[in-house]
Amino acid sequence: MRTVYKVLAWLIALEVVIQASMIAFAVAGLGIWIDRDGGTLDKATFEAIFEGEVTYTGVAGMMVHGINGMMVIPALALIFLIVSFFAKVPGGVKWAALVLLAVVVQVSLGLFGHENAYSGMLHGANALVLFTLAFMAGKRVSSVTATPTSAASPEHERV
Amino acid sequence: MSTRLRTHLACLATCALVLPLGWMWWSSLMPDEYSVMDMGYVDLGGGPELAAVSGHGSEHGPRHGPRHGGGHGSAAGMTTDIASLVAGDRPADVEVDLVAREEPFTLASGRDVTGYTLNGSSPGPVIRATEGDMVEVRLRNDNIDAGITLHWHGLDVPNAMDGVAGVTQDAVGAGEEFTYRFVAEQVGTYWYHSHQLSHEQVKRGLLGAVVISPGLDPAEDPGTGATVDVEALLHLYDGQRTLNGHQGDVPVEAEPGTTARVRVINTDNGPFTTWVSGADYRVVAVDGTDLNEPGAVSGEALVVTAGGRADLEIVVPPNGARVELGGNAIVLGPRGASPTRETAPRDFVDLLGYGSPADLGFDPTDADRSFDYVIGRRPGFHDGRPGMWWTVNGRMFPDVPMYTVTTGDVVRMRLVNDSGEVHPMHLHGHHALVLSRDGVPATGSPWWVDSLNVRDGETYEIAFVADNPGVWMDHCHNLPHAAEGLIAHLMYAGYSTPYVIGGHAHNEPE
Repeated sequence: MRTVYKVLAWLIALEVVIQASMIAFAVAGLGIWIDRDGGTLDKATFEAIFEGEVTYTGVAGMMVHGINGMMVIPALALIFLIVSFFAKVPGGVKWAALVLLAVVVQVSLGLFGHENAYSGMLHGANALVLFTLAFMAGKRVSSVTATPTSAASPEHERV
Repeated sequence: MSTRLRTHLACLATCALVLPLGWMWWSSLMPDEYSVMDMGYVDLGGGPELAAVSGHGSEHGPRHGPRHGGGHGSAAGMTTDIASLVAGDRPADVEVDLVAREEPFTLASGRDVTGYTLNGSSPGPVIRATEGDMVEVRLRNDNIDAGITLHWHGLDVPNAMDGVAGVTQDAVGAGEEFTYRFVAEQVGTYWYHSHQLSHEQVKRGLLGAVVISPGLDPAEDPGTGATVDVEALLHLYDGQRTLNGHQGDVPVEAEPGTTARVRVINTDNGPFTTWVSGADYRVVAVDGTDLNEPGAVSGEALVVTAGGRADLEIVVPPNGARVELGGNAIVLGPRGASPTRETAPRDFVDLLGYGSPADLGFDPTDADRSFDYVIGRRPGFHDGRPGMWWTVNGRMFPDVPMYTVTTGDVVRMRLVNDSGEVHPMHLHGHHALVLSRDGVPATGSPWWVDSLNVRDGETYEIAFVADNPGVWMDHCHNLPHAAEGLIAHLMYAGYSTPYVIGGHAHNEPE
């Protein structure tokens, strides 16, 4: 179960990297589509992008960012918390809860970004917080496994 | 802590997380067949109780378990079937045959797309009538397996002719026909489109323009001199903006001094901005209704919401003028004229104070019912799918209000958008008067709408007279939003629909 915990933690961290890459891919492609291909962006076209109607290199990044951010990562974070209940990683539940909290904040900031651009700025910054939390949570398993006599382990030894 | 206790605690914590989610998922599942009359809860808008409000009794939307059989609720025997709400049987003045097909076709621009056509083209033919004409449109579905309908957007037709699959009719299956009949009572610019799987079928081309001209005796013609009259139907095909199927500049020959009327029709899912290069313009009509004493507009752009229309009037200058339409343009002028394109103005026409007040024909301050339509968004499940979904008055589809009125009511509605995105709100079967925005009262021409651009953070107050009985959709015309549950209905007490969502015709209006 500890391995599952670790894999999930690092999968979430990897997802953050994918999210950052995908949105940059999408925005870069959008700029090229407007500049080189004469594309016109307005609300209706923006909707059409999410409907898969507009094709340019990078448009998939928009979709992946949306699906990953709204569905896959929240689901992973929830499963991660459930796994933490069983994984017996010292402090594991706390770290998993923090990861889930960061995901909730991240999704909220992303959505508020539709009405307040500064929220989008925080969304970018919080991505690094989420990445760090997920990475550190996964790293805890490695350190606990490597040093079974660490300060956190007595509780584990008792069970 | 013993291992067993710890495992028990872990299981309990898991259940505490998973069970509520599982319950929310299960309870969001929609039955295969349901009547919109069973959706949500009755909202009487603070007005008196109404007899024969069908199908309701609980505060909840359709759920598992036995569904309605024949009529609706105990009042079934007392209600009028909306299928009887038709336009009468006098002979037609305008007859149109439309054959719908799914096929590859070539746009006027020369681009090949695969989608839906009417009589071999998309946009479909412009349907033209004169005020008072009986219009008869025979629709035949050649090969569209999912079924189709035609909704007359902005035309306040009798309920059975409104063309909403599962609400006012069954979807017209492949090989089947349906005849729409209505009297062209409203002069102006309208459009038609499918209201079966509308988010898919409209996008892919099942649409066209409707223009109803005044039946004026030439001797009584006020002499506007509008000798050029063109439609400008905007639609995205495969994500590319077209103007009557064309891309780029569309020249329309007009001698200098001519008054031209350009009927802008937004058939897409978002508002767009239009302006005129090289001349002043007047916004002479919105959503088919003429504005009173519209002033000349210079250096301002106009927002036309999704589903909305605006008629612009331009006196053609010697060098011509361009009506800028989302990257395309109508170029008015003598042959060869090439007026310079001006960049988008930073300022916008505010219809709240545009033109002059005029008689409203009713007293909106003396309302019988006042409804709230507050749009929000929250996480949850929509028919089993997790996501961020729209809410109406804090509740998620299908637990939405059934705005219930009786014939003759003066109805006020407060539209509030607190959802983070713009919503073009479209009420079927009625035109509503805009009373105020964010508490600022309307001071200009009476501004009647069927499609209203409600931006995030805005509050509009509108009013209308409930004078067209039946069951009517009141939804967001960003059609994917409607498919995501941003729908409510306006229902007249004493009327019921025999049609169901799902069912043998596989009705799926959005």
